[in-house]
Amino acid sequence: MALLVSSSRRDRTPARRRAAVRRTAGRSLIHLLLLVGGLLWLFPFLWTLGSSFKSADGFFSRGLNPFPDGVHLSNYSGAWKGASFGTYFVNTVLVAGGSVVLTLLATSMAGYVLARTDFPGRKACIGLISVTLFLPHGYTIIPVFDIVRGLHLLNTLWAVIIVQSSSSLVFATFLFMGYFSTMDREIEDAAKVDGAGFHQTFWRVMLPLSGPMLATVGLFTCISAWNSFFVPLVFTLSKPELRTLPVGMYSFVGQNSTDWTFLCAGSVISLVPIVAVFLLLQRYFVNGLAGAVKG
Amino acid sequence: MQLLDTATPKPPTDGLGAAHRAAPPKNGRWRRLVAGRLSYLYLAPLMVLLLLFVVYPIFGSLAYTFYRWNGIGSPGDFVGLDNFRQIAHDSIFWRAVSHTFVYSIVVVPVQLAIALVLALVLNDRKLRFSAFYRTLFFLPVVTSPAVVGVVVQLMLSNFGDTLNGWLLDAHLIGRPVDWLGNPRIALGIIIVVGIWQTLGYNLVYFLAGLQTIPEEVYEAAKIDGAGHVRTFVNITVPLLRPVGLMIVILAFIGSFQVFDLVQVLTGGGPYFGTEVVNTYIYHLAFGGNQAAATEPNVGLASAASFFYGLLLIGFSVLQVLIFRSLAKRRAAGRA
Amino acid sequence: MSPLSRRGFLAASAAGGTALATALSGCSSSSSTPPGTTTIKHWDWYVSQEPWLKNEIQLFQKAHPKIRIKRTVQVSDRYPDLINLAFRGGEAPDMLMIPSSPKFEEQVADGWLRPLDGFATPQWRGRFPAGNFFNGVDMVENKVYSAPFGGNAPWLQLYIHNGLFKQAGITNPDGSARLPRTWDDVTAAAEAITSKSGGRSYGLGFGNVPNVSLPWWVELFVRGAGSPAGYGVDGLDYRVGKWTFGSDRNYADFLELLLEWKKKGYIYPSSMSIGDEQARAFFERGKFGMIVGGVWNQTTWTQHHFTDYSLTTLPSPTATPKAFFYYPPGGRVWALSQHSKVSDAAWQWFDWLHGPAAGQRWVEAGQGLSIFPEANQRARINSQAFRAFVDLRKYAMPWPVPAIRNPDVSKVVVPAVTPDLPDVLTGLYTGQLKDMGAALSDLEDRRNKALADGVKEARAKGAKVSLSDWVFTDWDPTRPYQNKPA
Repeated sequence: MALLVSSSRRDRTPARRRAAVRRTAGRSLIHLLLLVGGLLWLFPFLWTLGSSFKSADGFFSRGLNPFPDGVHLSNYSGAWKGASFGTYFVNTVLVAGGSVVLTLLATSMAGYVLARTDFPGRKACIGLISVTLFLPHGYTIIPVFDIVRGLHLLNTLWAVIIVQSSSSLVFATFLFMGYFSTMDREIEDAAKVDGAGFHQTFWRVMLPLSGPMLATVGLFTCISAWNSFFVPLVFTLSKPELRTLPVGMYSFVGQNSTDWTFLCAGSVISLVPIVAVFLLLQRYFVNGLAGAVKG
Repeated sequence: MQLLDTATPKPPTDGLGAAHRAAPPKNGRWRRLVAGRLSYLYLAPLMVLLLLFVVYPIFGSLAYTFYRWNGIGSPGDFVGLDNFRQIAHDSIFWRAVSHTFVYSIVVVPVQLAIALVLALVLNDRKLRFSAFYRTLFFLPVVTSPAVVGVVVQLMLSNFGDTLNGWLLDAHLIGRPVDWLGNPRIALGIIIVVGIWQTLGYNLVYFLAGLQTIPEEVYEAAKIDGAGHVRTFVNITVPLLRPVGLMIVILAFIGSFQVFDLVQVLTGGGPYFGTEVVNTYIYHLAFGGNQAAATEPNVGLASAASFFYGLLLIGFSVLQVLIFRSLAKRRAAGRA
Repeated sequence: MSPLSRRGFLAASAAGGTALATALSGCSSSSSTPPGTTTIKHWDWYVSQEPWLKNEIQLFQKAHPKIRIKRTVQVSDRYPDLINLAFRGGEAPDMLMIPSSPKFEEQVADGWLRPLDGFATPQWRGRFPAGNFFNGVDMVENKVYSAPFGGNAPWLQLYIHNGLFKQAGITNPDGSARLPRTWDDVTAAAEAITSKSGGRSYGLGFGNVPNVSLPWWVELFVRGAGSPAGYGVDGLDYRVGKWTFGSDRNYADFLELLLEWKKKGYIYPSSMSIGDEQARAFFERGKFGMIVGGVWNQTTWTQHHFTDYSLTTLPSPTATPKAFFYYPPGGRVWALSQHSKVSDAAWQWFDWLHGPAAGQRWVEAGQGLSIFPEANQRARINSQAFRAFVDLRKYAMPWPVPAIRNPDVSKVVVPAVTPDLPDVLTGLYTGQLKDMGAALSDLEDRRNKALADGVKEARAKGAKVSLSDWVFTDWDPTRPYQNKPA
């Protein structure tokens, strides 16, 4: 760079043109690498997508070739019916949505008071929360099950939502803490001058300002709730009509263990919604994280 | 992040919880408790959930470690510390620990290096389609391990044949390779899939970290005539270090708990060649492989889990101490 | 709290609440049952047997219009956990498949299962062939908790691919594929298929992920050679009351042969990388000529219209098998919950499934054999392969059951050993274990020690047991054993 700068002083136009050419060449190379790398990265998806349209014989004869030997939509209709994805889909949306709302409420409120207020026991709370991140999560299903039973929530989606949410609380709280702690004092002060109380300051001012963080935590929670298997399996054990997609997918895998094109179609069906959510939210969430790690 | 004091919020001396009242309370613990009541109210949902569904179950299951128990009814066969002794003397447990460490020690650096390079490239504001590329590389994160397992297994059985065909044609191997039948190759495949599936998180963390570095700093460096490498070494690395440390810790925490991928790809085989701690615990808690109808031992599984937890806490403390002493030495060197 | 913020707070929680409430509570029962109907909660883990069961439910409900069956299929490898949690949470089904763990006696002791004596009268039990109700099998402490269901046939078979056999010239004079009878026949066929296919096919293949199918090969081949314990998962060699993996030459002999096949390249090379399902699909497509599996293989092949295969069982060093497949007399698949409030209706369903008519439909659906000989005889079987399976039933017979002779045997819990036989087999196959003799002897010792430990512990708790309870000197493995209750 330094050399380039000094040379450009000597002879401006051709050098600049040369530099521009080099820059474009460099950029094209970067784009090429990113595209090839990205395609390789996505290969399993492309292969699954392609295979979901293959015939049973094509699946074997084509091997790793992602391009199908025709468009066999029967895989999709079969998977949709065979796995009752319709019901499971609704349940999964409710579980993912409920987990997102609950997690966002609990962790944004906690993150806010931990970051912006002082009260006796604040440090102890932070300590307790951090420690749980490191504690080994042994065979906890029986105690959790007993609590849920005590709350009379067995075989409800509430149980799934609550248990699922509690698995990712700590990390989300830290993210909100980090995010709120970087916010300007003046915002709060201005709110106070306008006569806003504690609640208004949070719900009307601070929370709306944490949009990117809400998107980030919401997305992470949504991903893990969407893919969760064991929690919905256990807490809907005698209500199969409350099962979620991954549980349905698991039984589906068992029932169609030799119909791989079906499995690929089923995988695509269960992936599409969460990928769509990601695409919708993704432009917010890098900003959200950037806010949280700024402190 | 607060774990390492890298991003502790500025000590909020008079946050709103206290400031809400006209005068900041000066005397008496009770006053301060009352003053902070809204803070407690806001903290309550989190604490209730945490205590009920995270803390209590962990301590509840701690009691199991002293029993031999198959998970039915309530534990009855008290065995004291026998379970821990048995775990500590089990060579398969230690092999599982070593596989987990090998996995982590390969996955974390490789993955973080790839993620960092990608993040540096994608952070360039002049790069077009940056969001598109980010999406490409993040996408594996949203897939469930169950789906990944099915797909990778299917690909592998086709891929094994295809790759064997190529290698045989090129006379690189004399006979076909049984990919998952070789413990080293099997662990390698798990590592590659592991890097693939979770790279997205680290890419996004690094991108977020890079975005916190103000553009002006780079502008200033450019004016000073610093090159790419020097900018990276002198500006990006130091400013990224706090976030980077958090990313490293999180990556290790995640990779030490690797489970699903191993379970769906090899189940820990062949002959414990890819057994990691969590598959080991799983086999204890839910019975062995399907071929042998073994009675699960929840007590032993819990003991293994807590024992491993202790190992990890020890490891984390060591990690923090090393980072601290390094930082101290560097500070001393600078002085 | 200012009114405004309270409203905001309420609005926020309401948004999370009301919209979801109805769907979440799970109370909205979708099925509208006419008044006076009884609903039975029924759990199983059937997959390939599902069409048969669904048909039975339909027929049953037609015959009993006042009873409805609400069936829940559970994930098979989590079934023991789920049933445990269900009993823990008071959510147990009225009719259930008996889980593989904990032990049957413990399920009874924990009050899960309902004694059926009021229903299963001696007269009812008379519908089954004689000698089918025993303590330690379907009874505990002289009370009936379950009933026999399936009939016995060798649960493993050697499947051969007719096309590949013919292509390799292994045929009978009439041109049909010649079934291998001896270990040498298998070797010769594997060699011919491998060499004549020009590298496109292999003689043998399996899919060992997750560590299940390699033990099947051992089971099938050593039984033929005269080791009645097979791979030792159902019991030990009751002639001596021990597991004999190291001391019985047959195990090492077969494993040497297996490694020889591997070395010569007769075995499909990715056998350790794929699962049994994939192996079955590869067999169907002629990638290898022989595979070991059960009657469940036939269901999917039939669905795919693949019929170009034959089957045999118990290949042995000489042409006559010296040991067979063994079963406890009687059997248990289904049970009723102790906590059921609709026991009478549940019993009617139980009775339905344990009748000769349902048994005959079970056979006709190609699921296996029925406990009722008349059902096996009457069943109309279209598939040649399934007919061949039915004809193999002469190779399955009852064997000694220690708990019948001494009920206290049920109190012994044999701790698991790791590595167990499936692990050791894999280790030997991949070469991770080098010394076969040492590995097998070590396994034998650990298994026998585990049993001795279990006995010691049970005795300490007052059970009257000893290791001699596992020894049956009067047992001849070539004849059905008559168990005599204590």
